Amino acid sequence: MIRVLRVLCLAAVLMLAGAAPAAAHNVTVGADLRIAQTIAGTEVTVVIKGTKRVPGPLQIGVIAFQPVTDLPVALELRSVADGRTVTGVARAAYEPQYTQLTVDRTGPHELTLRAGNETAVVPFRVLVDRGSPIELLIYGGLLVAALLLIGGLLTGALARRNQAMLLTGGAAIGLTVAAMVVIFEPLLPASPPDGAPPTVAPTVGAGMGAGAASGTQTGGRPFAQGRMATLPARPAAGEEFTLRLDLVDGSTGRPVDDLVLHHEALTHVIVTSEDGRYFRHIHPLRTAPGRLEVKMRADRPGRYLAYAELEREDSGGQLITGEFTISGDTSVGAETPVEAVTPLLQPTAPVAGRPTTIELNTSGTPRPWLGMTGHLIIRSQDGTFLGHVHEMGTPGPRLRFTFSFPSAGRYLAWAQYATGDHIVTAPFTINVTASGAAQ
Amino acid sequence: MKRAAVAVAVLAVAVVTFLIVGRNSAPDPLQVTARGTHYAATVSIDRPTTGRVVVDVRLTSGDANSAALSAVMPTMGHAMPEITAQKPEPGHFVAEGEFFPMTGVWELSIRLNGPAGEEVLTVNAPITG
Repeated sequence: MIRVLRVLCLAAVLMLAGAAPAAAHNVTVGADLRIAQTIAGTEVTVVIKGTKRVPGPLQIGVIAFQPVTDLPVALELRSVADGRTVTGVARAAYEPQYTQLTVDRTGPHELTLRAGNETAVVPFRVLVDRGSPIELLIYGGLLVAALLLIGGLLTGALARRNQAMLLTGGAAIGLTVAAMVVIFEPLLPASPPDGAPPTVAPTVGAGMGAGAASGTQTGGRPFAQGRMATLPARPAAGEEFTLRLDLVDGSTGRPVDDLVLHHEALTHVIVTSEDGRYFRHIHPLRTAPGRLEVKMRADRPGRYLAYAELEREDSGGQLITGEFTISGDTSVGAETPVEAVTPLLQPTAPVAGRPTTIELNTSGTPRPWLGMTGHLIIRSQDGTFLGHVHEMGTPGPRLRFTFSFPSAGRYLAWAQYATGDHIVTAPFTINVTASGAAQ
Repeated sequence: MKRAAVAVAVLAVAVVTFLIVGRNSAPDPLQVTARGTHYAATVSIDRPTTGRVVVDVRLTSGDANSAALSAVMPTMGHAMPEITAQKPEPGHFVAEGEFFPMTGVWELSIRLNGPAGEEVLTVNAPITG
């Protein structure tokens, strides 16, 4: 009975409280942190599971989305507050074993990942919910009510009227307290969990700050300015090089180091050759504040276009573009040809400005990757437009995307999904006609 | 004394039950209007929930031959396929399908075509259940 009441009451509290806001960089119970990384030439997702208490266990696993044979990832967990460091090793795998590290305190931490000769530093916060006096009141009230009701029934059965009345009255008070707290709980300010960053309450009538909440500023943080470069500056065909993205705050000139996880990655970088025969969707490593780097190679010389999708905290998502040139003899080297697929289009002749549905069959049942079953990257022929569309939960071995092409022309498209220990990339092109009626 | 205690207990149980059951009940019907250059419409959704829903579009101005509806969720970047509406009578369109796969604020676009031309009316649809 008590358990049932507890469950019912918890359900009521959860419904009243509503869904918790998405935690950007926070590790809390029930909200794992998932970070896609392209490290040691492999696409992995690092999962940090939440902990209920500190000191307590922090479980870290590395899911491989490409075939790997024993890829150890060295882990180093450091508390930014006191510098205390613990280390461990995780092994990337299709279904990884979780490595347990001990976390001593809440607040900001850094997880350093080392694999191959690459290193990434991922900042995050450990949050632990404080015991809520409100829950104590609700459950306490219900517990008292239940105990007293049973007592009341027993004493009533034994014909002790006064005691029965007393106990039943107490039960009523307990129930009333619990019900009142359930009713008024949403009106009370929720206390932040342990380890949460400090916030400033909005000041009434304070000009610029008016209307802001939780320390956020109306309009959000300024845009990040990105500078893309390769190391070396002009890589040769077939040679490994580093693609670097430096992010600078357009207002202060300082490095932008407050990226939030955007579809399970700090940044999604798309690199395509001008002709579209080369395609990479990779997730650079944060190597220093405001600096993201990824190692890659391209087999053919020519002009390459790079796009970085990212999102600052308390700001919108944005797309940063860049380009670089791969040097070498144009007569040698060729990207392995990939067989193009033929998607089912609805309407069959897509019209600019109208939703087009694109369906493809998959080889095997896709498993979620970057938080979605499928991704569709769309680039205009000239490279001036890039779109990133998500699959919307089509059952079975198929993907369905809906997208409104902004203008007429030829578009290069790559559908991506994960199945087993592979990421499948299916390229195709779409010709979009102008809308006569809409002009 | 006894009656009062029983009454308080019954009241408390009723409040808790009401809250739990009340939160589970269907969301309120949605009715919004939109006016463009050529057309104006009232859009009604009896059960604005996830899963299959029926969207009723009644033109209050203009004369459209066809209507096609599609939904996007700007905060998440989700887009759903366009669904062509049936036309049970002039000025009245009904579309049924899975417009909203998750809760949140969706933007429902109604693309109307008629002698006056094509126009897209857009309304906000908060989907709660």
